Amino acid sequence: MGLSDQEILHVARLARLRLTTAELPGIRRDLNRVLDYVSQLQALDLADIPPTMHVVNMEMPLRDDVVAPSLSVEEATKNAPQVEAGMFKVPRIVESEGGGDDG
Amino acid sequence: MAKSLWMEDAVTLHELFVAGEVRATDIVEHHLERLNARDPVIRAFLHVAAEQARAQAAVQDRWSPAERAERPLSGVPVAIKDNIVTETMPTTAASRILQNFYAPYNATVVDKLYEAGAIVIGKTNLDEFAMGSSTEHSAFYPTRNPWALDRVPGGSSGGSAAAVAAGMVPLALGSDTGGSIRQPSAYCGIIGMKPTYGRVSRYGLIAFASSLDQIGPMARRVRDLRALYDVIAGPDPRDATSLPDTTDATPLSRPWRIGVPREYFGEGLDPEIRHVLDRHLSQLRAEGHEIRDISLPHTRFAIAAYYLIAPAEASSNLSRYDGIRYGFRRESRDLVTLYEATRDEGFGPEVKRRILLGTHALSSGYYDAYYLTAQKVRTLIRRDFDDAFHTVDFVVTPTTPEVAFRLGERSDDPLTMYLGDIYTVTANLAGLPAISLPVGWAHGLPVGVQWLAKPLADHQLLEAAEALEGLLPPVRFPEEVEG
Amino acid sequence: MSAAFDVIIGLEVHVELKTASKLFCGCSTAFGSAPNSQTCPVCLGMPGVLPVLNREAVRLAVRSALALNCTVRPYSKFDRKQYFYPDLPKAYQISQYDLPLAEYGWVNIRPSGQDVKRVGIRRIHLEEDAGKLNHLGQRLGDAVGSLVDLNRAGVPLIEIVSEPDMRSAEEARLYLTELRAVLSYLDVSDLRMEEGSLRCDANVSLRPRGYTGSLEELPRVEIKNVNSIRNVQRGIEYEIARQAELLSRGERIVRETRGFDDVSGRTYSQRSKEEAHDYRYFPEPDLPPLVLQSEWIEKERAALPPLPDAIRQDLIARGIPDKDVEVLVLDREAYQYWKEASPAFSDDRLLVNWMLSDVSRLLNAQGRTFGDCPVRPRQLVELLTLIQEGTLSGRMAKEVLDAMFETGQDAKTVVKQKGLSQITDESALMQVVQRVLEAHAHVVEDYLSGKDKALAYLVGQVMKETRGQAKPDLVNRLLKEAIRGGQTVSG
Ligand SMILES: [Zn+2]
Repeated sequence: MGLSDQEILHVARLARLRLTTAELPGIRRDLNRVLDYVSQLQALDLADIPPTMHVVNMEMPLRDDVVAPSLSVEEATKNAPQVEAGMFKVPRIVESEGGGDDG
Repeated sequence: MAKSLWMEDAVTLHELFVAGEVRATDIVEHHLERLNARDPVIRAFLHVAAEQARAQAAVQDRWSPAERAERPLSGVPVAIKDNIVTETMPTTAASRILQNFYAPYNATVVDKLYEAGAIVIGKTNLDEFAMGSSTEHSAFYPTRNPWALDRVPGGSSGGSAAAVAAGMVPLALGSDTGGSIRQPSAYCGIIGMKPTYGRVSRYGLIAFASSLDQIGPMARRVRDLRALYDVIAGPDPRDATSLPDTTDATPLSRPWRIGVPREYFGEGLDPEIRHVLDRHLSQLRAEGHEIRDISLPHTRFAIAAYYLIAPAEASSNLSRYDGIRYGFRRESRDLVTLYEATRDEGFGPEVKRRILLGTHALSSGYYDAYYLTAQKVRTLIRRDFDDAFHTVDFVVTPTTPEVAFRLGERSDDPLTMYLGDIYTVTANLAGLPAISLPVGWAHGLPVGVQWLAKPLADHQLLEAAEALEGLLPPVRFPEEVEG
Repeated sequence: MSAAFDVIIGLEVHVELKTASKLFCGCSTAFGSAPNSQTCPVCLGMPGVLPVLNREAVRLAVRSALALNCTVRPYSKFDRKQYFYPDLPKAYQISQYDLPLAEYGWVNIRPSGQDVKRVGIRRIHLEEDAGKLNHLGQRLGDAVGSLVDLNRAGVPLIEIVSEPDMRSAEEARLYLTELRAVLSYLDVSDLRMEEGSLRCDANVSLRPRGYTGSLEELPRVEIKNVNSIRNVQRGIEYEIARQAELLSRGERIVRETRGFDDVSGRTYSQRSKEEAHDYRYFPEPDLPPLVLQSEWIEKERAALPPLPDAIRQDLIARGIPDKDVEVLVLDREAYQYWKEASPAFSDDRLLVNWMLSDVSRLLNAQGRTFGDCPVRPRQLVELLTLIQEGTLSGRMAKEVLDAMFETGQDAKTVVKQKGLSQITDESALMQVVQRVLEAHAHVVEDYLSGKDKALAYLVGQVMKETRGQAKPDLVNRLLKEAIRGGQTVSG
């Protein structure tokens, strides 16, 4: 039960990748081969196995609340393709695209 | 001088420099000369910082012997894999999306290199964002194996491996997420180490798979490797996953108990490599070490787990490349189009494949079946090693099932390329330190043996490697080899 | 409210914590600086950077959780919440998903005419704020582009998620007001809605009577980013009416996110939640689990200041009227002003009365708060003491207060400068009283014939003659004595 073209296009949209109809068959073949290969994990009984989220047993180190120097605006924006008034410029945002969750 | 300076190992160069027998300028010039002679064909470097290196050397030549001595890598040329961030040189991760990117900061390891007096020669090629095993997936050009120019140097740290093997630098930094230091080291006949996860700061390493990534040293001699390791290892307040300084300092007692996992010597292993490994094991036995047959039964699930975890984390880590704050951007009329066009043109096919795979593995309804399952398998793999290290000091395996393959041979076959990581990914999944050492030759190409130790036993592993060096073939250069 | 359904309201409140530096880097959190002047590789989401958690942010979050009666988890973790938007530099927000910092708290609210009601808090988690977009154009919809300022990106936030326990816009208002009051006593945040340091999203759904399904399955409308408590209430009111209207017409309510337009008082559709976001949460590999020792948590609990519920009890016990108690409790600065003044003054009712009427009026007129009141608590006490001693009448005291507000001078100084003290010399006053009695003989007769109001008129006349400087009860007594004496003399 591999991924359909439609599912792949959905994933591509989530990842903000554009796929052309020409590259879709190749991508589908490659992805489904890998997914088919990894499906062998489903055979394992993992009910009582905890996941390894961190490979070393560590607790969160904490940083003191001390202000450190920031970059200058010039440094912060020097790699940006489009800057205006010291800010990063982006084109029109179409409302339906959402995002801006907690803004 | 009897031999060219580029042929010397790093520690020797440093000692000659401290003793005032050679100038740093001469060391740098010899290496640049070598680089200029070899790199037009091998293409190990993406960026050569000749002028900066010369300037650094000139400064160091004015240092007193004491100043030279207190910096363990003074006078020593080093190359840096181009997914490690540098302020004075571009950092691209071999991706078009980061073309011409100049970071406003240095990676912690880079700061440490400079503090230690290392002379940074340049940035080396890699598979784009370290995703690949051949360095063919660089957005700019592939690197060639110095031993056979029609073959890949391995990857993703292929540029660093080739540069060290060809004598362009005695030392280089690589990064290892699933074998990206060890596999190219094996293919190029050098030594490469992946330290225990958390021993070397990841701050400034462009993240591929954060829970697996680790920076490590690459060299032709173990003591060089160790010198570089000692400079870069240690806690870093900028990396919350960097370990406090708790290296296991238990001295290593002889004879060593060496575990040979049967799962790493089965189907798929090139018989000639197996032969080289068998000879290595006999030598160890002859040295009085104890060879034990062990089992790491979940190894066969490692690739599947790895190719879920790594792409999942990568899909997240690579989301920041959106054409807004830095990097490549394809101008578009609206934001979504800009995102998609930028990422479409900015990323190569292998990166896109992995982003898609990882996005899918984390998407609603699939997380448990894919990412969570893989992290549980990771626990099983760790437990395998925990059990093994109760009875042995080291685990010894081949580094790769095959020798370096031909350029273009695997590029259209991702899964087969992934399966080539079978012997190396377990160390990343379990966080273990591992070293690949050049142990012999098969089909006229270098063969690597991998030594693994328990977490934090990095120094014991280095100690063992140093003791082993006498059993290994002497260092050679791929001098007259042409494609 | 129609009997056909119940209103179900839950609120998600984001509070910016008052740390000096950001949650995961050392950049300043100060508000109002030049765009992108408070950014670094970490909060710009540069390649290769890593987050390191701010200890003070954890402390402030834990303090908030404890004050809101939550259970703080000894073991919590951070997760990545992923979506693309220009204000989110890494395209993921480091937040907490399945193991939040704290859970299961509550806030008490007091709907008028009803018993105290407990509104549950489901969870509190710590996360980083996003940056700010400045749209080039009037509104997002017709903007030709936007400019991204990342000064706010990475500022620490707590998100406080209520249970869907509120049943009216008024209850939502009370919840928010109480929540803000509790947080204000903790001093964990600036709590300025207009600056975005306190933000509220409201989830509103209508549950038809007899509905037996789960609340989760009810079509829910989320009103996003409303900029004042008043507007949260208005937005909810509008939304209840809108949904009720739809239901009454037999139409379906769409699960969606809506904005609030404070000019029209209406909500408007922003995006449909039918195609819900797939945030692809997964554990943040760059941050180990956050482990909090119970001794440390208990130390923080012990260090909590008195909170509104305890303060209410205390104020009520002092005989302060309920209405005034509420005003004081909900305004931390007013309460602290009172707290500073109270030990030096014997009459809390009088003190509170002056604070909440005359002082408040002057503060409002100048757009000030009790925190920056030009008349300090000690000075107010001095003024009120002059009233108590009879040196000033209430009316004179108001005049003095006005002058104190203007000049910052003490009450006694103002009194001296203006020559404003009550005439307490009885013989001097008696002359005025005699003059008034002579001039208004017919009023005296009215009084003597039993019209009590006539005396008040005479008092007023004496006060007028003395320009208010006479002490009313003294005038009262002298008038009565003089009238009685006059009778004796004439009779
Ligand atoms: Zn910052």
